[in-house]
Amino acid sequence: MSDIFWNVSLAHYLALAGVLFAIGVVGALMRRNALIVLMSVELMLNAGNVTLIAFARRLQDMRGHALALIVIALAAAEAAVGLAIVVSVFRATRHANVDRLTNLKN
Amino acid sequence: MRGLALAAFVAAAAVGAVGVPAVARAQVQPKPVIVDLGKRAPVQCAAGNTSTAPSPARAIFFWAFAILAVAGGMLTISRRSAVAAVMWLVATFLAIAAAYVLLFAHFIAVIQVLVYAGAIMVLFVFVIMILNKEEEEPWAVRGIFGKGLAGLALLYLVMRLVSVLYYAPLEERPCISDQFGTTLSLGKTLFSTYLFPFEAVSIVLLIAVVGALVLAHPKHIHEEGGDGGAPS
Repeated sequence: MSDIFWNVSLAHYLALAGVLFAIGVVGALMRRNALIVLMSVELMLNAGNVTLIAFARRLQDMRGHALALIVIALAAAEAAVGLAIVVSVFRATRHANVDRLTNLKN
Repeated sequence: MRGLALAAFVAAAAVGAVGVPAVARAQVQPKPVIVDLGKRAPVQCAAGNTSTAPSPARAIFFWAFAILAVAGGMLTISRRSAVAAVMWLVATFLAIAAAYVLLFAHFIAVIQVLVYAGAIMVLFVFVIMILNKEEEEPWAVRGIFGKGLAGLALLYLVMRLVSVLYYAPLEERPCISDQFGTTLSLGKTLFSTYLFPFEAVSIVLLIAVVGALVLAHPKHIHEEGGDGGAPS
């Protein structure tokens, strides 16, 4: 058991990424505020990045870092577009509750 | 609908439960090697390499920042106020940046702090300033079924994580190149082999900025006059 504590390995980082991803999934599924849902998506992207960096360190391969950098840039683009959508939805409906956005249902 | 999504998630987890242990059993030796850090001889690395052997300081920093990241993530999705959620998300991103430093990804760690904890979070704070509306009922789960399902999923996750950590193999390469994780080596990778994805990302960012402007512009896009004039 003390070995699990003192000898930090690849599996520790994968476990950390798994926990962060699970938290992001729970936030994206359970919360009603569209902003919190977007934050949960960012959390999931970060968990994926932790996995990439951990494997890059284990394999000593810089390609994982390059991919992580591209993921960060795409996350920035996603955040910009997502927040713009939230703002325009809020302008049209005066709320940002994802459960009440049922215009496309009928 | 949400129940359907949860069911799909549980089904995916079940598939992983069958598949992942089979792969892990095929590759990982089942008996973890006990490391006595007090008696371990220092690893001798060749010139131009750094020793990355497990050290107490590295372990303590990892656990501190991992706990901070997980606690920050939990607080992010559980705060009622969106501003508090963003602040906890910033703490989470800083902790993740520290984890990158521990993984010898120095440049990515700096980018994480600048882009995530800086730029993206400022964007979130601006939008919260525009919306600024408290939720009446933030959580969607109600009833005994959802809570029971969530409890089972949490129990399963904790079980899997503990087993992964218990069977974790030791680091087999104690030495790492001094060039690993530096801006120089990342630039060499990005501007030689991966030049095309790099340039494609710049196009994606440009399109995203234009799209965000079109979406968030106050005047409607089908209005007469087309260009919409100055934003007011």
